[in-house]
Amino acid sequence: MKRYDLIVVGAGPSGLSAAIEAAKRGMSVAVFDENAKPGGQLFKQIHKFFGSKEHKAKVRGFRIGEELLKEASETGVEVHLGATVTGLYMKKEVVVRMRDGMQHWKGDAVIVATGASEKMVPFDGWTLPGVMGAGAAQTLMNLHGVKPGNRVLMLGSGNVGLVVSFQLLQAGCEVVAVVDAAPRVGGYGVHAAKLARCGVPFYLSHTILRVEGSDRVAGVTIGRVNRRFQPVPGTEKRFDADTVCVAVGLSPMSQLFKMAGCQMRDDPKKGGEVPVCDQYGRTSVPGVFAVGDVSGIEEASSAMIEGRIAGVCAANTLGFCTEEEKTAALAAMEKDLDSLRQGMFAPQNRGKDFRTTEEGVKISESLLKKGYLTDTEVGTFPGVVRRSGVHPVVECTQNIPCNPCQDVCPKNCIRVGEKITSLPEVDPAAGCVGCGMCVASCPGQAIFLVDEQFEEGFAAVTIPYEFFPLPKAGTKGTALGRNGKPVCEAEVVKVTNTAAFDHTNLLTMKVPRGEAMKARFFTC
Amino acid sequence: MGSVNDRSRDIGKFSEQPDDDRIICRCEEVTKGEIRKAVHDGMFTMTEIRRYLRCGMGLCQGQTCAGLVKGIVAGELGISPSELGPATSRAPMRPVPMKTLGNEKGGGY
Amino acid sequence: MQNTADVVIVGGGIIGCASAYYLAKKGVSVIVLESDGSIGNGGSSRNGGGVRQSGRDPRELPMVMWGIRHLWPTLSEELGVDVEYTQKGNLRLGKTETHLKILRKLTDGAAACGLDVKMIDGDEVRRINPYLSGEVIGASWCPTDGHANPLTATLGFYKRAREMGVRFLTGEPVTRLQKRKGKIGSVITPNNVYAGEKVLVAAGYESRVIAGTVGIDIPMQKVKVECLVTEAEAYLFQQMLGTAEADFYGHQTKHGSFVFGGSTGLEPCNIDNGTPVSSSIAASCICRGIMKYFPALSDAKIIRTWAGWIDECADKIPVIGPVEEVPGMYLACGFTGHGFGISPGAAYSIAEIMTGGCPPVDLVPFRYDRFRAKI
Repeated sequence: MKRYDLIVVGAGPSGLSAAIEAAKRGMSVAVFDENAKPGGQLFKQIHKFFGSKEHKAKVRGFRIGEELLKEASETGVEVHLGATVTGLYMKKEVVVRMRDGMQHWKGDAVIVATGASEKMVPFDGWTLPGVMGAGAAQTLMNLHGVKPGNRVLMLGSGNVGLVVSFQLLQAGCEVVAVVDAAPRVGGYGVHAAKLARCGVPFYLSHTILRVEGSDRVAGVTIGRVNRRFQPVPGTEKRFDADTVCVAVGLSPMSQLFKMAGCQMRDDPKKGGEVPVCDQYGRTSVPGVFAVGDVSGIEEASSAMIEGRIAGVCAANTLGFCTEEEKTAALAAMEKDLDSLRQGMFAPQNRGKDFRTTEEGVKISESLLKKGYLTDTEVGTFPGVVRRSGVHPVVECTQNIPCNPCQDVCPKNCIRVGEKITSLPEVDPAAGCVGCGMCVASCPGQAIFLVDEQFEEGFAAVTIPYEFFPLPKAGTKGTALGRNGKPVCEAEVVKVTNTAAFDHTNLLTMKVPRGEAMKARFFTC
Repeated sequence: MGSVNDRSRDIGKFSEQPDDDRIICRCEEVTKGEIRKAVHDGMFTMTEIRRYLRCGMGLCQGQTCAGLVKGIVAGELGISPSELGPATSRAPMRPVPMKTLGNEKGGGY
Repeated sequence: MQNTADVVIVGGGIIGCASAYYLAKKGVSVIVLESDGSIGNGGSSRNGGGVRQSGRDPRELPMVMWGIRHLWPTLSEELGVDVEYTQKGNLRLGKTETHLKILRKLTDGAAACGLDVKMIDGDEVRRINPYLSGEVIGASWCPTDGHANPLTATLGFYKRAREMGVRFLTGEPVTRLQKRKGKIGSVITPNNVYAGEKVLVAAGYESRVIAGTVGIDIPMQKVKVECLVTEAEAYLFQQMLGTAEADFYGHQTKHGSFVFGGSTGLEPCNIDNGTPVSSSIAASCICRGIMKYFPALSDAKIIRTWAGWIDECADKIPVIGPVEEVPGMYLACGFTGHGFGISPGAAYSIAEIMTGGCPPVDLVPFRYDRFRAKI
């Protein structure tokens, strides 16, 4: 039987990362993935990632996938696609369906990186065509170029729900509402704010009561829920929608571990049934590792580091790297992982109700309930300063691990500091040249350039803009506020895009001076 | 489950609920009411529920409904879902046609 | 917790559950102790569902024939659970002259016991089941054989017995039995002690270990065998199937899926990891076996495979009945992989004999002390 030093199941971010680290140390590595394309979910992630340089922050997900694949091929990893691992048997044997037959392989180590699938919630009509996972909608749009529907209601305000809602808007769909039974937005406030300023309404403490339709979705009725998540009569609201996206969490696809006899644990914080493993991803069955979402739902950036850690550990166990080499490699990786697992959204803080930021700034209730900061709240954050001349306004209001704004500013206007979850501060004394790198680099699209002295009586506001068609200079339209409501008339002054902006256009619009701190989106 | 499970313990009477006819297992079309009723018939584990009603035995092998079923069963028993052990996972992880599964290339015992 | 009953049954498989049911019907108080977390987690839920007389050892025939005549037809109604009993006959298929020889021998033996079974040729086989390949040259045909759903049958007995007041305790592994004043005394688990006037050990292979604690040994071994199931398919046929070569057996269920079992020939050497995990090669082997007989099924998708242990007795038939050396102790084990179809008849007989009644068939062939050296 063919034997590899390491078999990796799943060519997503964590699996590929594990394979690369193992192969770098001289191991023979085979990766199996059932999909026709590698990269797991990365290739449908068209948005820019959070984090710092080490985590490939501000790089779009699919580009990270391309980089991983290149690295895998350079290090000699064998990636088998269209290769479904149908079972993990005793003695670390995998059986793989490839085309019209079954192949048997054994690994001295097996790293399982099978990821997760979307959870569902049952409501009346949940089995109708047109009700789908948000991830499924994302696959349709971003991998297959198919619009999932025209009028979409999103259930779930976690990052998946928010990111996919924005991508639905980008694909030309209307998002009629983001609905969540929780009383507060679950994902990053900056993701919510992107939607709110495009006019997407948020309904927190609401749930879907029923989806109408005989053979497909024809409408959705939601209603408010009380603290015990029971519907409150008389609060029904109907939406004319043809699609319902469900983004209520992910559940690890951990079947292979159960089959292999690994000790399992049902951990709601990790999304469901996961193998019991140590910090290196080692399960109770020697030589079988778990990395990425299958070991507990997180996101791609941490999954990649987890993968690398397991790859190094597998190499060490099998004698491909010394204890010293392992210790040194892990120290750096664990530091990177640790920095990602900080802040309000860190795994250990899930479910916690933060009222203030680490800096002591009051968290915006409006942001958590409606998706946007009120005009008065904005000024309380350290990234928001007003001064003469062009300068960045950083509307980053929660402690999330992210600092590209600090890295890209050539004039050191923006400071996050050592701790990457700190709120960015704008130095009023530093000389902003208006290059816009911060605007384009912010994965949360939360940075704007404001010049209140642009023209007599007018200010210029530069916003990140990722929609088609792209308005041209001179286009007249309406500036929208953070809440998506019209603020004033506006005229596009210029639209810029350079390679460094990586497809985030910078749209500068002219608005009456008094609206400079209110106008945050443009529509025509 | 490691601990002794007394199948005669009182879990209260079965009472109908308005959403009992809602489908929970899409593959095998098993409703919430059927699952709740099965618990009162004595099916206290995920494995028994599955064998009694077939929920989780369809094409997706329970990947979609297992958590939902668990929640319903736990609710009916008045315990936390994590106290219910996992349902078993079995090969093949994806459906495979007989002619493909029977066509082994390489390998051996 | 009340830990005494008239009868304590060790083992919550179909034999334990059905015995509990028939005992409860007689007004006997019963406690059932199951080591696993779930009822019926051994062979009871892992077999191919045959309710079959043909192909059996003649010593078993009277019991299974009695059960098929008197218990199976009304079982769903009696238990309030659809056990999917289907009595549409059994074809045991042969592809070579050697196969036909084996089948003829079995058929002659069964016919001598009064079973309606005969040999038929390939054309007649295909008149009964047109999907069988031309490779089939003959078969034994028993029209009163059939199949049922082992999952719902096992749980049906459990459910009905529970409703009738039988106490079932799962996650309660029996570590030993204890005699008192020369008779069966208590049943001991890690944290509890149970007592019954009578104790029935119906714990599959584990019965050997448990009976051993009071000095009784049943010569049997644990053999791991495997099954698989397809997705639901259009209705094709209703018979139970087997082969002379024993390369596969199975049927199409009421749900539409096909349940098939088979063998690799490596069964006596199979290992496991504590649970009966499938081997990497058995499902493929079973598929190849099936396709030789049913080319039409080659596109059917396999959605699940599983394995289970058989408590294979030295002479391939079960041990059923009282253990005179330990008054009050009864055994029902060693069913050797064909315990499902016979289970209602066996359990009914046990309930009779444990309550001083007269079992419908002679239990002498199943005595625990029948085993002898060959010379």
